[in-house]
Amino acid sequence: MSNELLPIIVFAPIVLGFITLFLPRALRYFTAPLTLLVTALVFLGAVGIFQDKTLSYSVPIFNIQEISFDLLLRNTSLSSFMILFAAGFTSLIAIYSVKSSMDNKAANIFYGAIMLTAGGSIGVLLADHLLVLLFFWEIVTVALYLMITTGQEKSNFAATKTFAMLGASDGALLLGILFTYKICGTFQMSHIAITENEPLAIAAFLLMAVAALTKAGAFPLHTWLPTSGQYSNAAVMAILPASIDKLLGIYLLVVLVLPQKGLFAMVAWDLRLVLAIIGAATVLIAVMIAMVQHNIKKLFAYHAISQVGYMVLGIATMNPIGLAGGLFHMLNHSIYKSCLFLCGGAVEESTGTAELEQLGGLGKKMPLTFMACFIAAMSISGVLPFNGFASKWLVYQGIIQMGKDTTTTAAILWPLWLVTAMFASALTLASFVKILHSVFLSRMPDALRETKEVSAFKFVPMMILAALCVIFGILYTLPLKIFIYPALGFKGDLQVLGFWDSSFATLMLMIGLCVGAVIIAAVSIGKKARKVPTWTCGEIQPNDSMIIPGTAFYKTVSSLEGLKQLYSWQEKEVFDPYTQAGKSGSGLTNMLKWLHNGILPIYMNWVTIGLLVLLFILCEIW
Amino acid sequence: MSIPLPLFIALPLASAFLLPLCGKKFKGFASLAATVVIAVLLVMSILSFGRFDVYIVGRWTIPLGINLVLDGLSALMLATISTVSFTAMLFSNRYMEQYTSKNKYLSLFLLMVTGMNGVVLSGDIFNLFVFLEIASIASYALVGFGCEHEELEAAFKYMTLGTVASMFVLFGVGVVYGNTGSLNMAVISRYVAENGINTGLAFALALFTTGFGLKAALVPFHAWLPDAHPSAPAPISAMLSGVLIKALGIYSLSRVIFNVLGISVQISWVLIALGVLSMVIGVFLAVGQWDFKRLLAYHSISQMGYVILGIGMAALILSNGGNPAWASLALLGGLFHLMNHAVFKSLLFLTSGSVEMSTGTRQLKELGGLAERLPVTRSTCTIASAAIAGVPPFNGFWSKLILVIAAVQAGLYGLAAVTVLVSIVTLISFLKVQRYVFLGELPENLKSTAEHRGLMACAMILLAILCVFMGALVIYEPFRVVVLDNAVNALSDGFAYAGKVLSAQILTGQ
Repeated sequence: MSNELLPIIVFAPIVLGFITLFLPRALRYFTAPLTLLVTALVFLGAVGIFQDKTLSYSVPIFNIQEISFDLLLRNTSLSSFMILFAAGFTSLIAIYSVKSSMDNKAANIFYGAIMLTAGGSIGVLLADHLLVLLFFWEIVTVALYLMITTGQEKSNFAATKTFAMLGASDGALLLGILFTYKICGTFQMSHIAITENEPLAIAAFLLMAVAALTKAGAFPLHTWLPTSGQYSNAAVMAILPASIDKLLGIYLLVVLVLPQKGLFAMVAWDLRLVLAIIGAATVLIAVMIAMVQHNIKKLFAYHAISQVGYMVLGIATMNPIGLAGGLFHMLNHSIYKSCLFLCGGAVEESTGTAELEQLGGLGKKMPLTFMACFIAAMSISGVLPFNGFASKWLVYQGIIQMGKDTTTTAAILWPLWLVTAMFASALTLASFVKILHSVFLSRMPDALRETKEVSAFKFVPMMILAALCVIFGILYTLPLKIFIYPALGFKGDLQVLGFWDSSFATLMLMIGLCVGAVIIAAVSIGKKARKVPTWTCGEIQPNDSMIIPGTAFYKTVSSLEGLKQLYSWQEKEVFDPYTQAGKSGSGLTNMLKWLHNGILPIYMNWVTIGLLVLLFILCEIW
Repeated sequence: MSIPLPLFIALPLASAFLLPLCGKKFKGFASLAATVVIAVLLVMSILSFGRFDVYIVGRWTIPLGINLVLDGLSALMLATISTVSFTAMLFSNRYMEQYTSKNKYLSLFLLMVTGMNGVVLSGDIFNLFVFLEIASIASYALVGFGCEHEELEAAFKYMTLGTVASMFVLFGVGVVYGNTGSLNMAVISRYVAENGINTGLAFALALFTTGFGLKAALVPFHAWLPDAHPSAPAPISAMLSGVLIKALGIYSLSRVIFNVLGISVQISWVLIALGVLSMVIGVFLAVGQWDFKRLLAYHSISQMGYVILGIGMAALILSNGGNPAWASLALLGGLFHLMNHAVFKSLLFLTSGSVEMSTGTRQLKELGGLAERLPVTRSTCTIASAAIAGVPPFNGFWSKLILVIAAVQAGLYGLAAVTVLVSIVTLISFLKVQRYVFLGELPENLKSTAEHRGLMACAMILLAILCVFMGALVIYEPFRVVVLDNAVNALSDGFAYAGKVLSAQILTGQ
């Protein structure tokens, strides 16, 4: 592999994508195949990058006052596997959405943004210069914004909120980067290792961590995710917030805190408590909110937040098992969550709605979607033997290990983290039982009788992702050995208490399933079930009135004393930093507007006062 | 090739007086002639990069006569003025058909250009005042050009405060003359370098800061701007926000402070305070506006704050004896932001003009979903919004980045944080513009809206291309040395300005 591959794989999609944004709509028959081609080629390139971890590329761009801006790209084992998956997700989503986006009014903006995402995300992962990283980081943000704007009504609001919050976190990243430069005098990431625990270093670390956590969608800066989940296309959610944004956010966090190698390894070690609190709060709060949602995509979006908590918790342990668990969970989450969003998108496309009340009984009409969604739902809930279980298991192990190894506050509180994580996992399962019930299993409303399965463009990507869920679950040592251990620099195997034997468990499960199938067959063969309409007191009940919607499942939780108030505040966006900052900002604006009343003499007075102040200062007459 | 400096002033001045003679019949010819004149000025100003030139008017040597000075800073300003006026002129050709008496418009436009070119080239402080008045008076008339009641009110307000500013400047000129016995900037500069600043000169400095601050619309001297800039026809708004406040305000202020009266810690903090106030107050007022052009006008205040902040930080670092590298970085950021702002803000005003012309309104709440109806306007407006919000790789990103780097390196962390915060609010308010103008539902009455193509679209595309590629001025070293570093050095040299101008006069042998 030649080193020139790195700049080409980054800049070619960005330039093509940028041009595509401005092309007239008539050219979409040309840009759609172009998008497929570009993402496929990027994926091939990513495979090449994964195989050769020594690639690096550097070219000086310019130099002002000793500050050098160089294009430094380098491949590491941490980036290489993330690049592989980022490119993989991009091409899968491109396949999924390329046909249905043809009818979109802003088709070319969608295609252009997909290409921007492909190049931008790989750029972030390859960058070895902090400002180069910032550059690509922002490109990914813009791509997300543009993609959301192509959605239906109200998507403009979601897009605005998303860009505003991510843009603010990008500002924090910029400040953090410059503080880092001030401390160590270089932007080159492989040369930075901050050991002094001075205030500026802590500020720099926190600012950069804010950017990473916002991108990944951790509490309390997660609120852009549910909004965009509700109003944008499922494909958009699957590509960025569900997968690539997680990859990038967690990548940055790991780059910052990785023991011994991270930019802020020492600083972060002392701030483990903060990370653990954020992780635990994210896991629990987001899943509590998710349980009471009525919109599939919004519910998925809250789970996309909740799962980030596991990754952050795993990283906060800062021991090998926990880190491996955090990274592995990031990978698994990207797989099952994009699968879930794609399923949600498929359901929405076939039925025209994503509201749980209006859905039901789709398991028979859309068996492939049901299967993919079932596998992904089991994975996210951490059910054996799917991939989500393997990584959550590692995270739990990491937390227990942390309690053993050290005696800091974060370590002493390990039972708290563990219990929160496990409890949230149970709630996740509960919430997905609700989804599976209300969408696929319960009685079918009359309006959905004509529903059809989606086209191959859609179900093939879903099936691939679902298959990955199974493979990474049963053969969980494989991805750990190929991707995760090298990425963290571990040699050989990790010695973990209670590594479970997946093959045996899987075998037992399969046997159990077979036995169950045999029993069902034995009971039902030869017997005819009689189907009659439901009636009460002589009246035949219409079908729709007999549906038991899943939306009522957890009403008791939201009406519990104590929680009730919190839920209603949450509904009113009391905890949404975007809304709250907006309110205080508009307060300030209104005060200033009141001062600008358009009366000339008052304006003259300001000038006079200004002059007087200047005279006092400049003529030193105080 | 050496271009005689008076041409920059004489050419637009002469055509300003000749064009009204064309009358209604030759209106087309008048527009063409004005465009050609501006195009020639553009070429001349680009050719003048990298030159240092002193022109002695009528062979009356300094300190007796009048001189024109072209240095790095003047060249930068000339190029900015010509670029914006060229695109505004292209845009006017179709846009101003909505108004009557286009010839008068052209004539006022050229007078304004004359005034601005004169201000940035003038080597003595009284002529600076004279040209400042030419440009200002032309702009008062242009603001009220539509003759509707709100336009006239805005023009009246602008004129009142503008006249006050001019009086302050004139008073300051008088005080300086009384204290130093000269009006020539080089001579005054030499005098201050030798004798230091006395209370009289400090008084003059306060007057200049107020006067030029009013012209630059720095908070608290900004109150006229949000009325005046939206009321003018769109290409004139582009000129006012794009270059007028910079040439009359920022340029004069920094020239007087750095090269003539000298920097001190006090004036540095004054500049920084003006900058921060303008940035913060301007941006928070902007984000609450529902009138497209008024929103843009408030952003001009805020963005001028960036420029003044950069200049003020440089002055502070220099007068505190800090590392001059960071001072020149701050100046570079400020001046580059000045150029960038000229480009993206005039583009934004032109797009607002295009929207207003197509839909008949500029109220954000009455607009929506125009992305499909006005594709060129949408694309260019999005690029300009990204540029002003500091999204890479557009030009605004680079200048803000450099400013923040300079602030952090100089240890001014609070200022760095404010800069980033204001940038975020800017982003939010332009997301608002995108959301309400171009995205969302298309209102029923705008279903048949059509875009005006031709020269208007050309002007917008030209500026959008500049937004995309102007980063090259920093990235590509030869460009940076010629365009920006020369301008930065012109300011950071301080009193050395006097020596350069006076020795150049001897060299020319006059």
